[in-house]
Amino acid sequence: MRVRQHPDDNMASGSLREDCMLKYLLNRLLVNIPTLFAILLTVFILVNLAPGDPVDAFVPPTAILTDQQKDVLRHEMGLDQPAPVRFVIWLKQVAHGDLGYRYKDGTKVIDEIKTRIVPTLLLAMTGLTIGSLAGIGLGLLSARHYNKRLDHLLSVFAYLAISSPAFLVGIIGMYVFSLQLSWFPTGGYTDPGQEGMGNILYHLALPATVLSIQFIAILMRYTRSGLLEVMTQDYIRTAAAKGLNANKIMLRHAFPNALIPIVTVIGANFGALIGGAVFIETVFSWPGMGMLFLDGIESRDYPLIMGITLLMAVAILVVNMLTDVIYSWIDPRISLR
Amino acid sequence: MFAYRITGKLFLPAALAALLNVSVAANVTESAFIGAFDVGPQGNAQKFNPLTAPAGFSFYNKYFSTLTLYDAGFQKISGDLAESWSFAKDGKSFTIKLRKDVKWHDGQPFTANDVKFTLGLIKDPDMASLFAVRLGDVVSIKATDEHTVVLELANMDASIPDALTSIMMLPQHLLAKYTTKELRTSDWWKNPVGTGPYKWTKYLPDQYVELSANPDYFRGKPKIAKLVNRYYKDSSAAAIALAAGEIQYTYLTLDQVKENQSSHAFNVISGPSQVLNYIGINNNDPRFKDVRIRQAILMAIDRGAIIKNLYGGNAQPGQCALTLPKFVPADINKYEASPAKAKALLDEAGWARLNKGEPLEILTYYNDQVSKDVIATMQSMLAQVGINLKPRFVDAPTFGQLVDAGKFSLVFAGAGNGPDPSTLMPLLHSAYAPPKGVNRMRVNLPELDKLFDAGQSEVNEAKRTDIYKQMCRVTNAQLPWIPLWVANRYGGFSKRAQNVIWTPAPGGGRYQDSPENWMLK
Repeated sequence: MRVRQHPDDNMASGSLREDCMLKYLLNRLLVNIPTLFAILLTVFILVNLAPGDPVDAFVPPTAILTDQQKDVLRHEMGLDQPAPVRFVIWLKQVAHGDLGYRYKDGTKVIDEIKTRIVPTLLLAMTGLTIGSLAGIGLGLLSARHYNKRLDHLLSVFAYLAISSPAFLVGIIGMYVFSLQLSWFPTGGYTDPGQEGMGNILYHLALPATVLSIQFIAILMRYTRSGLLEVMTQDYIRTAAAKGLNANKIMLRHAFPNALIPIVTVIGANFGALIGGAVFIETVFSWPGMGMLFLDGIESRDYPLIMGITLLMAVAILVVNMLTDVIYSWIDPRISLR
Repeated sequence: MFAYRITGKLFLPAALAALLNVSVAANVTESAFIGAFDVGPQGNAQKFNPLTAPAGFSFYNKYFSTLTLYDAGFQKISGDLAESWSFAKDGKSFTIKLRKDVKWHDGQPFTANDVKFTLGLIKDPDMASLFAVRLGDVVSIKATDEHTVVLELANMDASIPDALTSIMMLPQHLLAKYTTKELRTSDWWKNPVGTGPYKWTKYLPDQYVELSANPDYFRGKPKIAKLVNRYYKDSSAAAIALAAGEIQYTYLTLDQVKENQSSHAFNVISGPSQVLNYIGINNNDPRFKDVRIRQAILMAIDRGAIIKNLYGGNAQPGQCALTLPKFVPADINKYEASPAKAKALLDEAGWARLNKGEPLEILTYYNDQVSKDVIATMQSMLAQVGINLKPRFVDAPTFGQLVDAGKFSLVFAGAGNGPDPSTLMPLLHSAYAPPKGVNRMRVNLPELDKLFDAGQSEVNEAKRTDIYKQMCRVTNAQLPWIPLWVANRYGGFSKRAQNVIWTPAPGGGRYQDSPENWMLK
């Protein structure tokens, strides 16, 4: 990616731009393949280095299995093969579109993931939407009231929100809004016997809001500082000199030019949002990938851990690529090569 | 007290308050009992094969049944699917007579063939069942008629009726088509057919399992139409849901009980966990060979102070490996706390020379706040006698691997203690040292081995009790484990719930809790 400065560049024809973008995307895709491989290899090594194997996880500290029984389990899980062989076998499987079976109960990993993907997307996307809208909105407000009381209040909120871990905010949110005020249910995806969309949204409201809190704070700070920087530019002064009102200047002139760092922050924090979702899902008993992932780690369910890692890594790489595409869309001076 | 029956009259005014709290959850089916059955150490969330399960029996018992069950006080075993049972005089066989009025949820009759099939599955190594070792002396299983099963035994094993309290019976007519390996991880477990008071109706992963009343249950149709097991990964979330009236039952930690003392939404039932907390010693470590060193460690720890201040008095000190009062002789050494005596014992045994001032790592898989406080307190108590404890908190699989490999000095652990003392055999008998078994502390006391063997082959209750009393004396004198205490555990039940019988037990369940009589107000 590079920023072109020459005015003639803006005249580049549409088809040329599309060509460039296609080339760029292909390029990024190729670069991403080794990145993905490195991520998977690292996670595989880390998971296998963690003490305790799936058989240890299967047998609780005081229960007893004979050697013969343990051998049956180890053979079935493929643990009688050395780790590098297991990695190659797993890669081959993945290349054939097969993520393997869970150690815990023999369910297909892909089926387990499928049932969790909708709840997770629902939570992450709602969190992202609330976070982006509120973050940018409050950022605008904060910049508009720069160094006034509202700005100071929002800054205090931001510092608190950024420094509070997601699970803590979750528990506090649950205590206040579910237990004390009874506005929302304490957790779950639906009430037993009520699987309608309305019921899901009722359960979604609190966890999605909690998930977005940190995101709001970060985005608000970036929006604010981005805007304040732009506001010192000459063309803003010109606009003000022309007699435009302050709100119009901020929304029409300053904001579009402050968008680039905002998009960067949204893209870069997507991974953190997914990470936060793991805790939020646990606290709110939300049946998503985060909860599944944690279950996989606790039972040393290697195929499940690897399957989810693959999916999350791909998701984050795709989002990074999308961020680049959005750059060139909001700022025509940027071209993708 | 082991268990309470929640009665209607006592809690009438409070129930009104509970009703107010549940108004948010009004869209939940009114006639459903929603419980977080798998929260806490007795749970086994979303693992549905009961033959490979170390815990979770409270919930399995709602749709499956076992041959035998304890009473809620864990004093006596009575029949569930079995009507009666007896050992042959020579101890070489065990005969079980079954109830004749039992039907599977699909309407088929429950017979001796189902029992033979289920016990056969447990003995098959491909099932990797944790109960296989409990049926180690069973050499053959015969269905002699429709309602009689005979187990032939290589050696008398008086603990078989106890083992049967955890084995859920399975329908041969539906499962015979699977190989054992297929069955172990089959999807059948996620839509099973049992003989219990409730039938399986629905499972939503990570959300809940819904059961509905079985009208043909042999003890009568349950009064509550639906029973829901809701899943919580985080126990504090379950406690909040209970306080908010969204669920009617969950396991509670001591902290949660303290925080909710003023709650009007639920009652707390407490009972001894039957889990002995102890400091395990690597008996292969030469530093601990001298019994005086083990005694010194025990006397350096003021158990009374820990029980009073950290457990709020909700624990009983343990004096030997066994904890049920009937097995603990009155004249046993109580090892009253005395740092001065502990120091003297360490000096006599030459601890400073043996250990050379090394810190002692203590490994534990407990990571709750109370356990952390307990370890920190023991650390400071032992520091006073010159033992420098270094705690290390790990998860259960890590603990298993380190301890199996013998890479440890001390552990802070818990052992499910009974109700039948033979459950301690794999933990303390020298024949079960790793890699063969879970005598992970490498206890090797020939006297103890003999007592275990004798206890297992004795049918006479009084004589058996004497054998285990002797075992308590031996473990009290030799301290192969340093016994600490048995803490209470807690269950929270909504004030709407009536006739509920509950008590904590290792792995949950295994007692007659009569869910068919539970009611909701």
